[in-house]
Amino acid sequence: MAPSEHLAIDIGGTFVDSITFDRATGAINVEKASTTPADPTIGVVNALEKVGADLESTSAFVHGTTLAVNALLEREGARTGIITNEGFRDIYEIARTNLPRESMYDIRYDKPETLVPRRRRYGVGGRIDAKGEEIEPLDEDAVRQAARELVEEWGVEAIAVCFLHSYQNPAHEQRAGQIITDEFGEISLSLSSDITGEYREYERTSTAVLDAYIKPIFDNYVEQLDGTLRDRGFGGSFFITRSGGGALTADNATTAPVHTILSGPAGGLIGASYVGDVIDRGDLIAVDFGGTSMDACVIEDGAPAVEYESALEDMPMMIPVFDIRTIGAGGGSIAWLDGDLLKVGPQSAGADPGPICYGQGGTDPTVTDAALALGYLKPEDFLGGEMGLDADGALEGLENDLARPLDLSVREVSTGIFEVTLANTVGAIREITVEKGLDPRDFTMVAYGGAGPMFVPLVAHEMGVEEVLVPQAPSVFSAWGMLMADVVYDEAQTFISVLDEVDYADFEQQFVNLEGDLSEQLTSEGFDGGQQRLERYVEMRYLGQEHTVSVPADGLSDLDELGERFEKSHESRYGHTMEDPPQVVHLRVRAIGEAEKPSLEASDDVASGEPQPADHREAYCFTEDAMVDFAVYDRADLAPGHEVPGPAIVREPTTTIVFHSDQTAAVDDYEHLLISGGDGR
Amino acid sequence: MSSTQPDAATIEVIRNYLTSAAAEMQRTLIRTAYNTIIYEILDFGISVYDADRNLIADSPGLTMFLGANDYGIDKAVEYVGEENLNPGDVVLLNYPYWSSTHILDVMVFMPVFHDDELVGYTTSRAHWLDLGAKDPGYVLDSTDVHQEGVIFPGTKVYKQGEPDQEIIDLIKYNSRLPNKVIGDLNAQIAALRTGADRLEELHGKYGSETVDASIDAIIGHGERTARRAIEELPDGQWSATGYADSVTPGKDDKVKIKPVVTIEGDEMTIDFSESSDQIDAPRNIPFGMTQTISKLCFKSITTPEEDSNEGQYRPLHVTAPEGNLFNAQYPAPTFTLWPAIIAVDIIYEALAKAVPEKVAACSGGDLCDIMLYGQNPETGRQFVEANNEGVGWGATEQRDGPNALMHITETMVRNIPIEVFENKAPIMFDSLRLREDSGGPGKLRGGLGIERNYRFTHPCGALSIIQKTETEGWGMEGGQAGAKNVVVLDLDDDWEERLEVYVDLDDLYDAQDADVKYAGMFRGTFHPDEVISNRSGGGGGYGDPFERDPALVLEDVIEGYVTRDGARRDYGVVITDSLEIDHEATQQRRG
Repeated sequence: MAPSEHLAIDIGGTFVDSITFDRATGAINVEKASTTPADPTIGVVNALEKVGADLESTSAFVHGTTLAVNALLEREGARTGIITNEGFRDIYEIARTNLPRESMYDIRYDKPETLVPRRRRYGVGGRIDAKGEEIEPLDEDAVRQAARELVEEWGVEAIAVCFLHSYQNPAHEQRAGQIITDEFGEISLSLSSDITGEYREYERTSTAVLDAYIKPIFDNYVEQLDGTLRDRGFGGSFFITRSGGGALTADNATTAPVHTILSGPAGGLIGASYVGDVIDRGDLIAVDFGGTSMDACVIEDGAPAVEYESALEDMPMMIPVFDIRTIGAGGGSIAWLDGDLLKVGPQSAGADPGPICYGQGGTDPTVTDAALALGYLKPEDFLGGEMGLDADGALEGLENDLARPLDLSVREVSTGIFEVTLANTVGAIREITVEKGLDPRDFTMVAYGGAGPMFVPLVAHEMGVEEVLVPQAPSVFSAWGMLMADVVYDEAQTFISVLDEVDYADFEQQFVNLEGDLSEQLTSEGFDGGQQRLERYVEMRYLGQEHTVSVPADGLSDLDELGERFEKSHESRYGHTMEDPPQVVHLRVRAIGEAEKPSLEASDDVASGEPQPADHREAYCFTEDAMVDFAVYDRADLAPGHEVPGPAIVREPTTTIVFHSDQTAAVDDYEHLLISGGDGR
Repeated sequence: MSSTQPDAATIEVIRNYLTSAAAEMQRTLIRTAYNTIIYEILDFGISVYDADRNLIADSPGLTMFLGANDYGIDKAVEYVGEENLNPGDVVLLNYPYWSSTHILDVMVFMPVFHDDELVGYTTSRAHWLDLGAKDPGYVLDSTDVHQEGVIFPGTKVYKQGEPDQEIIDLIKYNSRLPNKVIGDLNAQIAALRTGADRLEELHGKYGSETVDASIDAIIGHGERTARRAIEELPDGQWSATGYADSVTPGKDDKVKIKPVVTIEGDEMTIDFSESSDQIDAPRNIPFGMTQTISKLCFKSITTPEEDSNEGQYRPLHVTAPEGNLFNAQYPAPTFTLWPAIIAVDIIYEALAKAVPEKVAACSGGDLCDIMLYGQNPETGRQFVEANNEGVGWGATEQRDGPNALMHITETMVRNIPIEVFENKAPIMFDSLRLREDSGGPGKLRGGLGIERNYRFTHPCGALSIIQKTETEGWGMEGGQAGAKNVVVLDLDDDWEERLEVYVDLDDLYDAQDADVKYAGMFRGTFHPDEVISNRSGGGGGYGDPFERDPALVLEDVIEGYVTRDGARRDYGVVITDSLEIDHEATQQRRG
């Protein structure tokens, strides 16, 4: 029998989540192991042993890792140097000269140290102009000399090369790369034009530097993990999730690892899109409430929103990443007083020491402690009973730190903690919906992460969203989503021209070139024509604007049609069109190789009679504004066809689903919970 | 929800709602504005007021537009009369002495009603491109306000939801760029509506009684926090004196700026009466702007991390007599009111004497703006592009000054990328680099300024708006000032026919070459291959430079922030050819 098992492993800050799926039987197994920061491979091996993965029969292994981002956050990346144009070596340090918003009034602001100090930045002769024409030839001796000094004098392990206007003409970068490789074959090299074909020199330099900075570590890790897996009999494909959707082969990931740097939340979004597709819901708001943060992303027509410029610790990256809004609000977020105002987060008690109720030495009251006080969590139920909760400690902490100073009851202060968290969350979700011309009431919310199923029904209630979908195993939904990843590549080319002046043949040829490169890439990875999908987009704006709008450009008959599509997009996003001429800025192609993946099958279970509560308890109902009786169900007891009226609590081993008196949960054919009602109706 | 005394959570939820309403107004304005000065340089201010016109939330683009609408909203409502305001009205104000800056910063506001009761106002101010001033772009030499454009003293442009076409036409026919200007007006109104909707929603949801009580609590919290911060500072009176550049070409008539800061208990007063009188050049500052820059300095030492509200500024008093540079009276011109920007570092200089641990040494002290204009040779279209430059920031007792950051009055503004600029204007840059040795020497060194060299590829108009080039900044505790701002022009020999140099610095820099000009403000037409070298100032140092650890000086030399000559001259540290410290020679020099 051919290998039929799929394995996904997601390394997070605290846990390594592993999941296996057997295509033959449809069986899914899920496990958690501890993260091992010193040698992440150990955690991966522990996780795959714990989940009982049979590597010999595994055909695909999908991996999400925070290794690269951690190397950056902890400043443990490679010693990196920059080669750029003569006279411009300070572009990387001068950057865009603005301060981060949170420091806007800080006269004593201190600029963080750059990843590459001035002594390791070299300028060399040679210049290309804005049209891509060579004004001055590349000074090859200077490149050689710069590389030699970087390696021999400063001991660099990686070099980033970025020249002005290389998005128009990468010849100087390519030649410099060749010279460096010829002279110092062992050095890790990142050319800005290999990663992005877009203009803005500081952002492109920063992207190349980030790539160079993480590359040696990433290469080592992938090589080591690949070897470990092969030693254990793994003969399938090894994929790594990407920051902007899908996955890429491990081999490919090592050529530009910056593409994987924000891949953490990617799995959940892939999973949400997939589930949405199965149950025929294209427009979703994915809401992941974990221990320390809430991540939200809009999925429109099955596709998660992507942005083309993001930043990590204020260092910009010109790569596509999911447009995720994150706020510091999760189960571990600490509630505190600023004078007489009640605040929640962004500080978190994390997993260690954790909330007071974990009894591991945490002393600050958190959202989870408030959930306990409101009756949603029950000490003996928590983590399937594996871990008891210190209820008395939690109540005492809420009382002493918050309730007494504010002259409120513990119950009042706990609902307050929920209200404040809710207000922060609603604000963040408004940013990615209302402010982009989207009405959240037209969407289904997908609730996952440990605290998602407890919070999201309240968020939906507050925003008038009619339906909340709680997938199976919501606390490991990200790892599950990874199983569903297709292979995706993006490439872009800056092409600045007023629409009226675009040479259509040239425009078409540029697209054909981009598609050719990507298609060749997919073919070499074993995707035949039928498994390949290519999508074209043009980024456009009105002449004089800075911000662009992404316009789908498949099946275009002529440029007038492109102009019409642009006007329509602009109108729908900004509410108006302008009299200025439209301008083309970038051409983009997304190439998708459709991977073989598990399919979600309808459950054979059928509801027999009404669902029976396993328990009853007093908990706080936000609709009634009072403590009332909640029926408590075990999720395992629920089957397709069941309807559960609120107020109710549905228990799972690693999460708790809560909905209120004007809400109802229905179990669909795939055993998802669909919660509806409240203000949305 | 109970409608009386709101609890702590309700107050925080309402505060959050107001803050995000202001932020949403900002994003609406940025997304819908028509001109780059709004959506790139962020030349706008946004605020939300309650019915008594207390500031309850803001979201400025320029840091110095913090609370910038506070003065104008009072004046405009007094002028129109509160009883004459109806739902759906939008009022326009740019009479500088009320609106608080120059004519092109146009303020609009909208009264917000809930159940027929006035519950607040949303306001925005933003920089328009043209309202019929005597010159396009910037006016550098007006002698009264009427040369600076059309004035609206508080004029309804929408009445009960309906646009007044006569007013809109009046604006159109008085602008060189009518479409952009009307587009920006609509963008501002869209922002006002966004905020108004949210404010109404809030009153609808919680009831006005709860909202009002919560606002009282939020403002009370702001006031207590600020008072506590001031109370911890020593009582006393401190002042500092500085200058903006000379006004008349060829004459030394620098503009005196002298703030006097008094701290007494939990209150602070900043008085400007010892500064210059108002002048016949567009450097005068309306009093509302004087309040605004004072609020900026006050905020940065009291509540830098908190969202703004009225309460935080209650302990602050600002005074300047009528007719003073800082309380300009009609018809004083105000177009390039840069002394307001320069005054910020001088207020900090006075504060440095009182509370050195709350501030830093002087920054480069200006925005260092170069504006290019003309016809794009490729497309034939008219263009205006402006680029502000980062300056060195001052050192503190804890850290060296950061290099190349925008001035504290505009910390959110970004420079224009070279690749964008070279696509838009007929220029090619020769270089963009940190200015070595420009950081003020000190035990802790000031940050470095920037040198950016523009080379023209085709004929092009250009001007500079920089008003602090003749005088230097200041260091702290024995630290020295950083390098001054200067523009160096490399010109063909017929330049005098094409260029007006308002501030000539040839003598200051002992210029020897007739075709190389050292300048502050200038305006004119440039030829291909002529070069503008814009050099921004460095930050001041902290402490005696001879006490700087020689190892750190060596690091600075290796890094190229300080030259070997600079190390020897300014720090008394002698560094050998092989980049080692010559300890003996150093000891000798340092004595």
